Amino acid sequence: MMLAALLLVVQVGVAAQDPRLERLDPETRSVVVWVVDSARAVGLPSEPLIQRALEGATKGAAGPRIAAAVRRLATDLGTARTALSQRTSAPELEAGVAALRAGASPEVLTRLRDARRPPLTMALAVLADLVASGVPADSASAVVLAMAPTARDADLVEFRKAVERDISLGAPPGASAAVRAANTGIRFGTSDAAQNPSQPPRPPSRP
Amino acid sequence: MFDRDDDIVERVVRQLRQPVSIDPALDARVMAEIASDAAPLATPRPRFQLRRWPWLAAAAALGAVLIAKPWSGGSDGAANAFQFVLVAPQAASVSLVGDFNDWDPARSPMQTAQGVWATTVPLPPGRYRYAFLVNGVEWRADPGAPRARDDEFGTPSSVITVGGTGS
Repeated sequence: MMLAALLLVVQVGVAAQDPRLERLDPETRSVVVWVVDSARAVGLPSEPLIQRALEGATKGAAGPRIAAAVRRLATDLGTARTALSQRTSAPELEAGVAALRAGASPEVLTRLRDARRPPLTMALAVLADLVASGVPADSASAVVLAMAPTARDADLVEFRKAVERDISLGAPPGASAAVRAANTGIRFGTSDAAQNPSQPPRPPSRP
Repeated sequence: MFDRDDDIVERVVRQLRQPVSIDPALDARVMAEIASDAAPLATPRPRFQLRRWPWLAAAAALGAVLIAKPWSGGSDGAANAFQFVLVAPQAASVSLVGDFNDWDPARSPMQTAQGVWATTVPLPPGRYRYAFLVNGVEWRADPGAPRARDDEFGTPSSVITVGGTGS
């Protein structure tokens, strides 16, 4: 008990000495330091939490909003780690949080972990970015899971860029993902193109 | 639909957005070359010092070429240099702020050439949130990058993901 208390004091001291957090008001800083130390104590990365606090400070957000954002991120990092593994790297956890917040379920993260060799950072990030582009979360999850076993990081990025290009030209996000996936030999969804991978995809036209 | 000027600007921006990376071994190679020809500090050798200049010039030229050349490789954990670009002809100042510079506007001021603002930042593998701060007051997301979905602070941000040695 004494040892735990001592460790806590030492850990609080370490975080409190981080000069970057001096940009926060004292009340917010104490909350953020507590969350950071709690996260560190259970083996979660602290740097993403500090960066989120600094983002809020630079953007002039109110203290309670910063504290809530940091707390929420700590919770989500824990959820991502549970879904991925205890040995997951900080970048993978951050990308996992992005995927979860985009709408992917923890089960999708676990399946991705089982389907692909680490690092999973890019696969998780592409999943999150596809959803951010407007692709339905289920479709994005399905296509990334289908590509995960064999696709290189560069292939995933190229896929995301192709979908974003289609969307910028006026294609519906879900349809674009389906057609592009079919073009790489992946079957998912219900569109005609997805059911007939041999059929060349029709390029979307300008609106 | 773009007119000709817009098209040129778009092409320039596209070119500038190409990732630039520096071979992590460059420092070691340059230092090895310099060290191999370095005289002891206590015994100056003017004749050899003159000969050192071609090596230094060659090293500088090599560095310039590597910096200018887009490099697709990069080992896990090594930082690659990425160029961030924003077209803002009316802006008086633009700073790049994000997870990679502690969200400090003073750390990455951007340079402009006819309204195209650019700066280069080394990034190790990871996922980073960032935004542009225009004129010190206006937050803008990167129009050429995915948007961060969780804009919890009421202003837009973008994300960039730098891969490691993915399969």
